[in-house]
Amino acid sequence: MATNYDVKADVYSKPLCAPKGTANTRRPNNTAFKQQRLPAWKPILTASTMMPSFFIVGLIFIPIGIGILVTSNNIQETEIDYTGTEASSPCNKCLSPVVTPCICTINFTLKEAFKGNVYMYYGLSNFYQNHRHYVKSRDDSQLSGNTKALLNPSRECEPYRRNEDKPIAPCGAIANSVFNDTLELFWIANESDPTPIPIPLKKKGIVWWTDKNVKFRNPPGKGSLEERFNGTTKPPSWHKPVYMLDSEDDNNGFINEDFIVWMRTAALPTFRKLYRRIDRKNDSQPTLPAGQYYLNITYNYPVHSFHGRKRMVLSTISWMGGKNSFLGIAYITVGSISFLLGVAISSLYCLRALLSYISFSTWRPRMPLKRS
Amino acid sequence: MDWQRYWQGLEVPTPRTIYINDPLRNSFCPNWISTAKYSKWSFLPRYLYLQFSKAANAFFLFISILQQVPDMSPTGKYTTLLPLMVILIISGIKEILEDYKRHMADRLVNTKTTLVLRQSSWDRIMWQEVNVGDIIKALNGEFLPADMVLISSSEPQSMCYIATSNLDGETNLKIRQALPETAGMQTEQQLLNISGKIECEGPNRHFSCFTGTLHITDRSPVPIGPDQVLLRGTQLRNTQWIIGIVVYTGFESKLMQNAVKSLLKRSKVEKVTNVQILALLLLLLAMSLVSFVGSLFWDRANRAGMWYLSKEGGKSSSFGFDILVFIILYHNLIPISLLVTLEIVKFIQAQFINWDEDMHDEKSGLHAMARTSNLNEELGQVKYLFSDKTGTLTCNVMTFKKCTIAGIPYGQSSSCELDDPALLANIKNGHPTEEYIKEFFFLLCMCHTVFPERDGNNMIYHASSPDEAALVKGAKNLGFVFTMRTPHAVTIEALGEEYTFEVLNILEFSSDRKRMSVIVRTPAGQLRLYCKGADTVIYERLSKDSLFMAETLTHLEHFAMEGLRTLCVAYTDLAEEEYQHWLMDYKSASTVIQGRIQRLEACYDAIEKEFLLLGATAIEDLLQAHVPETISALLKASIKIWILTGDKQETAIHIAYSCKLISGHMPRILLNANSVQETHHMIHQNCQDLGDMLDKENDVALIIDGETLKYAMSFGVKTKFLNLALSCRAVLCCRLSPLQKAEIVEMVKKNVRAITLAIGDGANDVGMIQTAHVGVGISGNEGMQATNNSDYAIAQFSYLEKLLLVHGAWNYFRVTKCILYCFYKNVVLYIIGLWFTFVNGFSGQALFERWCFSLYNMFFTSLPPFTLGIFEQCCSQKNLLKHPQLYTISQKGKIFNTRVFWVECMNALGHSFILFWFPTKMLMHDMVLQHGFTTNYLFLGNFIYTYAVVTVCLKAGLEMMSWTKFSHLAIWGSIIIWLVFFTVYSYLWPTIPVAPEMSGQANMILTCPYFWLGFIIVPTTCLINDILWKVMRNTYKRSPLENVRQLESSKVKGFEFSSVLEKRMTATNLQMSLAAPQPHEFILRNNSVDLSAPHGYAFSQTESAVITQEELVHYYNTLVSERKGS
Repeated sequence: MATNYDVKADVYSKPLCAPKGTANTRRPNNTAFKQQRLPAWKPILTASTMMPSFFIVGLIFIPIGIGILVTSNNIQETEIDYTGTEASSPCNKCLSPVVTPCICTINFTLKEAFKGNVYMYYGLSNFYQNHRHYVKSRDDSQLSGNTKALLNPSRECEPYRRNEDKPIAPCGAIANSVFNDTLELFWIANESDPTPIPIPLKKKGIVWWTDKNVKFRNPPGKGSLEERFNGTTKPPSWHKPVYMLDSEDDNNGFINEDFIVWMRTAALPTFRKLYRRIDRKNDSQPTLPAGQYYLNITYNYPVHSFHGRKRMVLSTISWMGGKNSFLGIAYITVGSISFLLGVAISSLYCLRALLSYISFSTWRPRMPLKRS
Repeated sequence: MDWQRYWQGLEVPTPRTIYINDPLRNSFCPNWISTAKYSKWSFLPRYLYLQFSKAANAFFLFISILQQVPDMSPTGKYTTLLPLMVILIISGIKEILEDYKRHMADRLVNTKTTLVLRQSSWDRIMWQEVNVGDIIKALNGEFLPADMVLISSSEPQSMCYIATSNLDGETNLKIRQALPETAGMQTEQQLLNISGKIECEGPNRHFSCFTGTLHITDRSPVPIGPDQVLLRGTQLRNTQWIIGIVVYTGFESKLMQNAVKSLLKRSKVEKVTNVQILALLLLLLAMSLVSFVGSLFWDRANRAGMWYLSKEGGKSSSFGFDILVFIILYHNLIPISLLVTLEIVKFIQAQFINWDEDMHDEKSGLHAMARTSNLNEELGQVKYLFSDKTGTLTCNVMTFKKCTIAGIPYGQSSSCELDDPALLANIKNGHPTEEYIKEFFFLLCMCHTVFPERDGNNMIYHASSPDEAALVKGAKNLGFVFTMRTPHAVTIEALGEEYTFEVLNILEFSSDRKRMSVIVRTPAGQLRLYCKGADTVIYERLSKDSLFMAETLTHLEHFAMEGLRTLCVAYTDLAEEEYQHWLMDYKSASTVIQGRIQRLEACYDAIEKEFLLLGATAIEDLLQAHVPETISALLKASIKIWILTGDKQETAIHIAYSCKLISGHMPRILLNANSVQETHHMIHQNCQDLGDMLDKENDVALIIDGETLKYAMSFGVKTKFLNLALSCRAVLCCRLSPLQKAEIVEMVKKNVRAITLAIGDGANDVGMIQTAHVGVGISGNEGMQATNNSDYAIAQFSYLEKLLLVHGAWNYFRVTKCILYCFYKNVVLYIIGLWFTFVNGFSGQALFERWCFSLYNMFFTSLPPFTLGIFEQCCSQKNLLKHPQLYTISQKGKIFNTRVFWVECMNALGHSFILFWFPTKMLMHDMVLQHGFTTNYLFLGNFIYTYAVVTVCLKAGLEMMSWTKFSHLAIWGSIIIWLVFFTVYSYLWPTIPVAPEMSGQANMILTCPYFWLGFIIVPTTCLINDILWKVMRNTYKRSPLENVRQLESSKVKGFEFSSVLEKRMTATNLQMSLAAPQPHEFILRNNSVDLSAPHGYAFSQTESAVITQEELVHYYNTLVSERKGS
């Protein structure tokens, strides 16, 4: 059987023909650390200690999940696919590369009014912005306004690095493939008056603050933007050079917000990007009243070659962003599982206690354990 | 250093000529030794070579080189190189620290001093300056600096005594004698005038061989043999000084030649780890191949229409190039920091061993010393313990503890030495047995070959046998003081009166005779023969008139049961003419050329008869402190203990009894045979007797001697012998040569899949210490040989208990948890890359920023493995010592094996799945930010990365059984370090041109409510499964460890729970013992089995030495040596 033997007590206490050690004279540097006697918390996860945790997790997660789900469901969102691959679609005509520029109009109805700020996104599918060859094909130095990099872009931009012996600004495949459809939104205030009222779309304030102010800078210099970009050429797919993206100076060149949004490459092949903001007017009036709308599309961006799709999304935003029920469902599911596990463990625990009680009272006396 | 040895190994030793007093003509290796691994200059190349010969490091070097290829690396150019460099530098610093210690130890040896004849005077120089051909003078008690030929000594017949325990572990003093031709050369002038040379064989490793010739000018050459050679490492004893000529120095000395290069020992855990690394490498290749094949198909199906992708695909589609991209992407699956983490962890574990005050010997001031840190966890897995006896289990100190005189036993078991008031009273008060008592002690003072030396009022006894010294000393304490020995007389002072006995003959001891006798003439003029010897041989020769035979025999048995070594003493009176007659016979016998020994023994036998029994002595071979307790604890930890000793069988059995390895009723199988056939037959017979119980643990002791072992180890018998030995609870192997000790260890190591540990203190144990998985040296007693070749050095055998049960068990838990955790955390993070590959067109894009990617192991998750490896405690040391059974958990290796490893990997795979897909689904529409901003791939990456760091850190907490303040620091600290780093890192661009893609991430992510919601749910989801698993285990499938832990934690202030614990442990043990097969009764019939109670017999003395004991005694004159001394 286990002895009550303790090395320490032994070494110092019994002077059996052995030198009488000065008991427990530890030198000052013998700290708890060196002797491995640091105070420690030694948790043991057993059914009885963990049962409450399972219930608590369940009880906390389920309400959170419900809260998220409700918030998500309250967000208004509408999605219009305007790829035009179906023959019935008004944009079908634009699939042919002959028609340039091609403008098509899709009308749709908002059954409910959108309150608060409304955001307009474009969505692409089957577009691999996360492909390795695509992600790396940019020069952040150039985009941050570095003059050296402007004229001599990084090798990563190949093959969109130089065109006709001139450095491309902005270089790289990402910039080259920038989304260039134009979307406009019109509201038909009432059926009788067919004159559509254009919805004011704000093109500024759609990017991260750091992008606009830190990461993307136009080349320094006193002259006009065109002068500052002197010596560079536009990406091959672009129709106009980078310094002619917008009429306003604070939205032109590298700091053009549409351009910046595009440059933030998405994680998945199906993604959305912020296109425009529709600010609410005042509290009494919804930003987008219910009713008929026209979506006017200047169709430039080809996606059918890679079986992609294009969509326009209108959405309100809550504290947790756009509509997405996943997290709410996840919370509810995990919470429920945890709760059920708690129930299962505690019932097993009780069952076992019961069984052991029964076996103790019936079996124990007959067991020949006494002979130890 | 080993290359030097390598060279020596190739060298065929050529004979050498040493010119005396002509130093310029002797050029041999210096006496400087080094046991260090590196020198200043060899450090860098050798270190790099060693590091890159490790597969993992070579792999990372390969990856680092690959990353330099333009366009190849998805994770940047230096992201592997930098961590690799950091790791190499850290382990380099560790190597330097360790090697520095070795250099210091070497310096200590090399700078010891000795006297050398230089320029006509004795100069004190350092050992390292000694050269071959130097004439050296060594003083009493000094260690000899090199191998030398004895020229002369201070003693008569130019003898000297040396202690060779450093070389062969034998503790009796050896006698060496100079050649008569040189014996007179003692003064400086005489020595300087010697001209001539010594021719001898080249350096070799055989201690007992030496052939040489001394040529002195103008004289005929004389042969030199081993009797004239004094080896490095031996100690001069009982001799005032000796003068010798150095023949072998430094690495060429026999001592160093025997110190074979210790092979790098790898622990079992390390081997398993290496296999798993290889398995992971294969997994990595498989993943790369799958991704590559995926990319081929994906490209073929989709690439054509993807106008937005740069059209450089043509260049990169070559098979080798693309697959390398994936290998680089996934290479972190193999934990780069594992090796260096383990090195540091083990280094600190070794420090804990060094620091341990419980393993600090107050007497010698020695701490335990971990000389290697490779084997820390192996200490937790020991199954077979091979122990030396002398100096390891015993102190090699004999104490005369009890005696029986005229049928009355004396001596109390509690006292240290024989000091029974009853005995003294009986002498003084004229007890009826008074005469017997006096005669008994006269005998003890007379019948021996001990030399007395007066040191002031105290007597110092020099004896070649510690038993004899103990008896003489014991007699002295009781007032019978042996004071003087002259060539033909012995003077004793008995109770104040002085008696002088004339010593006529000494009938020598030999292990066949098992007795020694002296013939003396008492002061009264009576011829008397005193004899002491084993009970069996004495009883055979007792006369019919002898009294107290039955009582003495009973007492002998009692003594023997207590583990004391017993000797019977008897005397007989001789008639004058009978003696004269015998003397003639004896003289003729001692001049016979052939068969002299046999003739002499027959002659001795003729006069040793008709004894009258006086009584018996009982000597305690003093065990080291707490050896029986330690052994019983180790046995409880189901460690099997084998005693391997060079000593005699009887002694070994006795020690086994007194340290409770063998109990009194235990049957003993004795294997003593003279041929292979006989051995085979005996082993076979015993195996058959055991029958079904073979291969199970039986309560039987197996005892075998070296001679028989030689046969037992021969081909064909070996397997059976091993089976038999493994079926016995205790195994004693006696009279073994150092090589045989190593052979036995090797046999067990090879044939049994279990960890072996060898512990010893002498140079004769070096072989087994080096052979065993773990070698432990006892430091302090017998020189440094064993210590210097061991992996761990402790001062006392009893410290083994703490070393194994506490440090071993802890280290095993620590190392294995640390390894498993390192694998786990790497698999978790880097498998995510594979999941991402499925959604990014198999392009090999990394989801994380490149430096985050590579600093994961270096910073953000580096602390938890350290806390697991350093501070983890499965339960308190008190309980580990209290319940040695807990040791079996680590012993069986349940915590870490291939199955556990893959379960952990699957778990990690599950975690990585959750870690990737949860955030991916959360960010499905890229719309989680305020103001409607959209996100990018790195936004998702940082979500996942943060959750992964949190999950992995919490998982460490879950694995931790003991949370110290450092654990909190590591777990919460790691998470905070990441968040802080992440924040800072996001603001670097473009001020510092690094990580442009991280710019702005932190303030968007950390202010995003979605992130914090995920922060709670994702790690919870990952770990809920682990928690559930643990809960189920701890509740329903509890191991003894959990029981102990439970009770430990339920310790409320002042609540005494040991009784509860006892009860629980009783129940557990009962279950255990019920499960284990009950020891069956079986009958061992054959004659090799000894069922009798053990008989005590112990006597060790030099046999067949250069000088016979009789001559020796006759040469000695106390008066002469005292004159010389003064």
